Amino acid sequence: MSKDLKFLVVDDFSTMRRIIKNLLHDLGYPNVAEADDGKTALPMLQAGGFDFLITDWNMPGMPGLELIKAVRADPKLAKMPVLMLTAEAKREQIIEAAQAGVNGYVIKPFTAETLKEKLDKILGGGK
Amino acid sequence: MSNFQIMKLEYGACVEALAEALRGSDEAAFFTAVDHIVRMREPQTITEIRKLTGDLQKALERFSIESRLADIAENEIPDARTRLTHVIKMTDEAAHRTLDLVEQSGPLAERTSREAGALIDSLKTYRERPSGGSGFEGTVRSIDAFLPVVRAVEAFLPSARTDSEQIRKNLADVLLAQGYQDLTGQIIRSVIKLVGELEEALASLTKLSGDVVEHATLGENPDRGHGPVVPGVTRGDVASGQTDVDELLSGLGM
Repeated sequence: MSKDLKFLVVDDFSTMRRIIKNLLHDLGYPNVAEADDGKTALPMLQAGGFDFLITDWNMPGMPGLELIKAVRADPKLAKMPVLMLTAEAKREQIIEAAQAGVNGYVIKPFTAETLKEKLDKILGGGK
Repeated sequence: MSNFQIMKLEYGACVEALAEALRGSDEAAFFTAVDHIVRMREPQTITEIRKLTGDLQKALERFSIESRLADIAENEIPDARTRLTHVIKMTDEAAHRTLDLVEQSGPLAERTSREAGALIDSLKTYRERPSGGSGFEGTVRSIDAFLPVVRAVEAFLPSARTDSEQIRKNLADVLLAQGYQDLTGQIIRSVIKLVGELEEALASLTKLSGDVVEHATLGENPDRGHGPVVPGVTRGDVASGQTDVDELLSGLGM
């Protein structure tokens, strides 16, 4: 599995972005950019160069679910792996996110192991 | 029969008794008739006075609740907003301070571990070196082979000491950074108190006006999300943890 993958981490809290960035770094993915909501993230994604999207749900501006729908509606981005990393835990929401096309769903608070497991699964490593 | 007709019947007899007493100059009968009329009128007057007093009291209560509400709306709610914003700022600073210290300590620990590993390897190489022979020359060769190890130990120990000291200092600072919890806790508690007071004032006001208030539903857009689960507040079917989420998603074929 390529460790050169470029990640975009979208969360409105800079501390959470930093935590995810650090964890990704420890997992061997040093190439990480940040955005603080969907509105900022979408043009970055559309500009190209990203291989993986990790997004929060509840954000001002454009929330994560809307971002995922926009990503899936864009032919250039439709196949991008997306992991939702959020405090939203209602069953109906998880189902909604699955229908919107997320590849994984992790609820906060989360552990480094859970993040690794989901990334491996999505990226096809599975180990 | 109209109210007035009833009154005519009720009072008619009394008025006649009164007129009779006047005509006959019967003082005792006169006062009896007057007393009777007054007693007939009394309950109604008292009811009216009671109602007026009640209204006045309600108006006063309402006034006091409304002025308290106005004070809350004008001063304390904006204050509470500022206080909560300050809480976010404090937690944000503490989290970043902690992350700074963790990020700073990681490479120090890594370096110590790496250099200790290299030292272990040098010692192993030294122990496994081919025999340098016996006698004086053998001892000299042995010392020569050991010298680089000694130098490496000499280089390692001071840096290991400095790094460990720095890590220990960083950990102490991480500990201190958690002090925010005390301060934010106090601020949040004061806001909880204000919300309680507001709730009480609004409830009293609703009770005074006697209006039945329909539960207003907030214009919530589920697409925006609901925020973290709060025990006792969050309603609906909530996943209990990551395992629950995984099961739900695998049930959907993910």
